[in-house]
Amino acid sequence: MQPDFLDRHSRSDSVIHRLPAAGKLAAALALVVVVLLWPARYLPLMAVPAGLLLLAAGLSRIPPSFLLRRLLLLEPLVLGVALLAVFQPGGWRLMLLLVVRCTLCLLTMILLSNTTPFADLLRVLKALRVPGLLITTLMLMYRYLFVLADEAQRMRRARMSRTFVVKRGRQWKVLATVVSQLFVRASERAERVYSAMCARGWQ
Amino acid sequence: MHIPDGFLDAKTAVATGALAAAGLGIALRQARRHLPARRVPLLGLSAAFVFAAQMLNFPVAGGTSGHLIGAVLTAVLLGPSAAVIVISAVLIVQCLMFADGGLSALGANIFNMALVGGVGGWAVYYLVSRAFKGLFGRVLAAAFASWCSTVMASVACAGELAASGVVRWSVVLPTMAGVHMLIGLGEGLITALVLTGLSRTRPELILEPAQVAGARPYGLVAVYGVLVALGLALFVSPFASQSPDGLDKTAEELGFDAKARVTVPAPMPEYTIQRFSGARVGTSIAGAVGTIAVFGLCWGLARALVPKGQPKDVAAPAPRQ
Amino acid sequence: MTPAIEVRDLVFRYPDGTDALRGVTFSVAPGESVGLIGPNGAGKSTLLLHLNGLLPEHLTGESAVRVSGERLTADNVHAIRRTVGLLFQDPNDQLFCPTVFEDVAFGPRQFGLSEEEVGRRVREALARVGLQGFENRAPHHLSGGEKRRVCLAGVLACEPGILVLDEPSSDLDPCSRRELKELLRKIPITKIIATHDLELVVELCSRVLVLDAGTIVAEGPTVSLLSDEELMLRHRLERPHILRHIHPH
Repeated sequence: MQPDFLDRHSRSDSVIHRLPAAGKLAAALALVVVVLLWPARYLPLMAVPAGLLLLAAGLSRIPPSFLLRRLLLLEPLVLGVALLAVFQPGGWRLMLLLVVRCTLCLLTMILLSNTTPFADLLRVLKALRVPGLLITTLMLMYRYLFVLADEAQRMRRARMSRTFVVKRGRQWKVLATVVSQLFVRASERAERVYSAMCARGWQ
Repeated sequence: MHIPDGFLDAKTAVATGALAAAGLGIALRQARRHLPARRVPLLGLSAAFVFAAQMLNFPVAGGTSGHLIGAVLTAVLLGPSAAVIVISAVLIVQCLMFADGGLSALGANIFNMALVGGVGGWAVYYLVSRAFKGLFGRVLAAAFASWCSTVMASVACAGELAASGVVRWSVVLPTMAGVHMLIGLGEGLITALVLTGLSRTRPELILEPAQVAGARPYGLVAVYGVLVALGLALFVSPFASQSPDGLDKTAEELGFDAKARVTVPAPMPEYTIQRFSGARVGTSIAGAVGTIAVFGLCWGLARALVPKGQPKDVAAPAPRQ
Repeated sequence: MTPAIEVRDLVFRYPDGTDALRGVTFSVAPGESVGLIGPNGAGKSTLLLHLNGLLPEHLTGESAVRVSGERLTADNVHAIRRTVGLLFQDPNDQLFCPTVFEDVAFGPRQFGLSEEEVGRRVREALARVGLQGFENRAPHHLSGGEKRRVCLAGVLACEPGILVLDEPSSDLDPCSRRELKELLRKIPITKIIATHDLELVVELCSRVLVLDAGTIVAEGPTVSLLSDEELMLRHRLERPHILRHIHPH
């Protein structure tokens, strides 16, 4: 299942995985803030946080190819926006700074999400007094996004298996139908989940 | 349009974070008061729906593909406050779980896509659907609102990037707004198609705009409007008032040395002011014409999807308790 | 003896006007295992939802359902949901928490128990269904059979007096089905099992109710009822293979 691979490693075992979620979240935030506030003229010294991250990555025992693939998936957006920075005096240096900062932060977040099950992060948010409605929404979203993404793929495949003449305009209509069907299924499932929650005492 | 970490400076990140937290707080309070218990799981499931729908690729010319953003679609189906919660949830999960959108930029992303795009887009939808009745009116409103929402969100995004000093306003605005004016067309088309599809199969899911807004729609929009206006005042208007025109000016400035980077040079004030007003009127006219043109396109689309003589309106569902 | 469940003349109509239940009457004694069978669209799932107070959505005074002698009303509906544990047809709908532990703990946590007590109940329930050690697993990584068993654990953790199951063996591979059957056999509490799996009914239920078009058209001991070929065929069912070689005495 495609989307599943994006947090495939969050349940593996390693020194990093065993650290408490709250600590990891705080560390990630701290690292992001540090990288953001790091003065531009000490650019070469960014090797320090970079080194820390690479150490963490190594200790986490997540396959480096996986980390690299995730990084490359998200880099083009970074490069695209950073390219706009070129159009000003000192642009190239600024662009380099942006790319380095972004990449370090990306690596931080990729490591965080792949060493911490989402359920644990939710628990941290709950402890931070995030409103219950938002927590329930996040919980249900995470739980069902794989289910719905799967349904979406299956519907798409089913429609394409009966598409014998490919016309681009037609494809949009087909995809729009999949999207509307997906919403119908999501809202029907929401009703059933509501019943299931009530059946177990939710009020 | 997810801004990654590292692009926004501290002040922008904090300011947008505060605005986003305020907007989300309002939405949650609204939902706690008005959302019936049986619709609570629908928020989570809708967030999952938006995420799953965003993964479907709509083929565009030459091997590229676009995808739905879904802010206005969500707002049309669930109402503005629920949409804010849903879109924020999507952005939070995308940030924490998939590193899509920076942690420090979460506030800005929520402000742009949930508040400006979601509520702003819904406001456009509400007004247009009141002006043009029936299913036709709603499809037209949804298509146009989706386009507006995409463009408005991109302008806010551009403002934040410029305010952080990473890109020049004169570069980032035309790029982002220009690109998103095109992306917005796709968004409008998909939203219109989806809404028409739903009206055929499950019309009861499309609530009357008045019903989702609740008792005081204008009051609600006003509250969100204050937040959005504040944000735009912080990030967009400083540039709008002194933006030189387009890329030719910036190319000129590339020759300047680093010291001149921060302030906009004004060697000949009178000349510059003249160019400003001319340029501003010019861009404003272009913008207005473009918007009208898009409205016309949406009209044609809605007409094509809901031909005359079709049932005038979606079967209005019984009012909810 | 007070019946565990008593339903008298239950009528239900959907908001769009279709009659789902047209006067259903039956009772289930404590400790009994009753099967509920019938063709698709007969109203089985609808009937089961009534036993948990999930339908009708707004309970008014005259409810036709009594649980352990008490009439189901808006005031005692939450207590009744503790007593009557309902297992839904699609485990995906019932498994809505991010980990197995959280999901099984969902019910007990509503009772205001301490976290240790909740943890104890969760571990015990998981052990009962043969899933010890599964606490930290994510639901979307489980197989169909495992999901079903987690749902069952979630219901058992609430310590219900009556178990109501909607199509418990659907979508299970033969091995999972056997495991589930053995599991249910070992649970001594009152059970109502709605299912298409007629062999399961023969193996687990002493009595059977046949529901068709919103009414109970037949009820009686499992073997003799299900061996009645003519009755079975009349209601779009059939005599299960397991009974084809048993001659009714």
